[in-house]
Amino acid sequence: MDSMLVIKDIWKIYDIGGEKLEALRSVNLEIEKGSFISIVGHSGSGKTTLLSVIGGLTEPTRGNVSIEGTDVWSLNDAGLSALRNEKIGFIFQFASLIPTLRVVDNVALPVIFHKDNHGDVYGRAEKILSALGLSKKLNSFPSELSGGQQRRVAIARAFINKPAIILADEPTGDLDAQSESEVMDFFSEINEKEQTTFLLVTHNMDLAGMTDRIYHMRDGALLD
Amino acid sequence: MRIYHVALKEVSKRKIRTIYTAIGIAIAVSMLISVIITASSGEVEIFRVIARYGHSLTIMPAETKSQQSLKTFGIGTGSYIPEDAMPNIEKTYQKAIVAGWEKMGQLTFQEGTIGGAAFPPPTFAPRLYEEATVKGSDVIVGGVMLEKELISRFWWEISEGKFMANDDEVILGKLFAVITETKVGDILEIGQSKMKVSGILNETDSPDDYMVFMSLKTCQKIFGKHNKISMINVRAMCPKCPLGDAAIAINKEILGVRATSQSEIATAQSQIFQKTAALLLSFVVASLIISAIGVFNIILGSIHSRLRDIGLLKAMGASRSQLIRLFLYEAALIGITGGIIGFAIGTGLSYVIGPILFKDIVIRVNPLFFLMAIILGTLTTIAASIYPAIYASKIKVAEAFKSL
Repeated sequence: MDSMLVIKDIWKIYDIGGEKLEALRSVNLEIEKGSFISIVGHSGSGKTTLLSVIGGLTEPTRGNVSIEGTDVWSLNDAGLSALRNEKIGFIFQFASLIPTLRVVDNVALPVIFHKDNHGDVYGRAEKILSALGLSKKLNSFPSELSGGQQRRVAIARAFINKPAIILADEPTGDLDAQSESEVMDFFSEINEKEQTTFLLVTHNMDLAGMTDRIYHMRDGALLD
Repeated sequence: MRIYHVALKEVSKRKIRTIYTAIGIAIAVSMLISVIITASSGEVEIFRVIARYGHSLTIMPAETKSQQSLKTFGIGTGSYIPEDAMPNIEKTYQKAIVAGWEKMGQLTFQEGTIGGAAFPPPTFAPRLYEEATVKGSDVIVGGVMLEKELISRFWWEISEGKFMANDDEVILGKLFAVITETKVGDILEIGQSKMKVSGILNETDSPDDYMVFMSLKTCQKIFGKHNKISMINVRAMCPKCPLGDAAIAINKEILGVRATSQSEIATAQSQIFQKTAALLLSFVVASLIISAIGVFNIILGSIHSRLRDIGLLKAMGASRSQLIRLFLYEAALIGITGGIIGFAIGTGLSYVIGPILFKDIVIRVNPLFFLMAIILGTLTTIAASIYPAIYASKIKVAEAFKSL
């Protein structure tokens, strides 16, 4: 099968007041297209930093990341923006909606940055929101939603540009057990139907248990 | 949805920030608009005043130096212009004025119209001066065409009685009336004629105060000066009229006369007004710069408070140019709002300030001023937002997301 993500010897070292902090230590990973995997670890183990490096948000100290054969960190700013917009769907661990936009606008937002800004964007947004149980909240503003609803809107937004890979950081953090289950079912459905690759980082072992493969992280190192 | 939709929603949802920022711009724009409207409306008023009173030409008989030395205050007797030369003088004058305008290449000359504003035609007021002895006092008698004289000597006012209405009536200068103890209704013997005093002028602080005025025809008849006049006073009735050209043309083409332009003071007044308006505008521009600095601070502060949003937009794939566009669209919308508010306030202010500065001013609001207010407001906010927008576009996602 084709490789979706290849990580080679990634290091991320922070210099904090002259003291070197190794957030990532020689991380290597190869994920095939359509994989549904999770990385678990305690807080501070480097999960979020790894996700950030993979997604082109934090530059590694050294090492390579390639997504569908594209060397992420050899791209210029415009190239990185296009990669994030077209191939990656981010789900952050905090409520990450634009407060001045309606729910449906928030979901449609990444499309305006897409080079091919056409088609029935709002129809697609409504469809995804409906699948996540938010069909009655399309015109609401984020401040009118509960934390769990906001989280589901952010999840819906990650899928609007039909990304090749979803990078999710504690994607069900604000959700109750039932909503968590519904969201994971939605992920599985997309994974199966569209061969979208999922990389979830979490400290929730139950959530990780729903994925096809679990990796562990400890002190910046990735363990099988 | 497009980037400007996001900007529009951001601006419309954050009403307080938008209004707060727009008011800063609106104040500066309103000052500018009020100065421009008041100055332009006032300038028209000043032009009208200058047109009526300021620009004049004096045409007198060409004389030898010895003849000139005999005269005081530019009036005197003994040399004349034929009255029937007046049409030729008027024709020469008009021709020179038209040629002068065309030479300046500024305006297309139309009868009674200068630069789109209507002005009355020039006034040619002839006078005949003769010496006489009235009530035992030597005095200069002036024959005038009253209707034209009242335009030429706009400051003339009657203190007692009324202006002469018949050929056997005269009006007196105040000083002459006081010295000779003459009153309205008295009969004066001038030459061989008996003339009734119909009125006495207010003091003018000019030679007119010690003169007797009657109709030109009567004066010519009494003193046997048929078809003779001593001088012509020309009121140009238009601002910036090329009177110098007219004077040169008359001196060159009409034999026996000397035309002198008195437009310098009016021109100087007009220039002083324009310089004052320019000075005011420079203050306003300074206030616009101060407003721009205020907008700069507000936008920069807004960017700091929206760091997470900016990081989010970048994570979603917004490029640097797209982020810059987003912030500049927001700035433009705030600038347009400020421009509209500023225009409304500025127009209102000019209706308050205008009448205080210029009596009888008619406030003229050119639609271009509205466009100017919007463009100015927009350009100012955009200029003030360029650095903050570039700064925002350079923010690293990881720095914006402390949680990542």
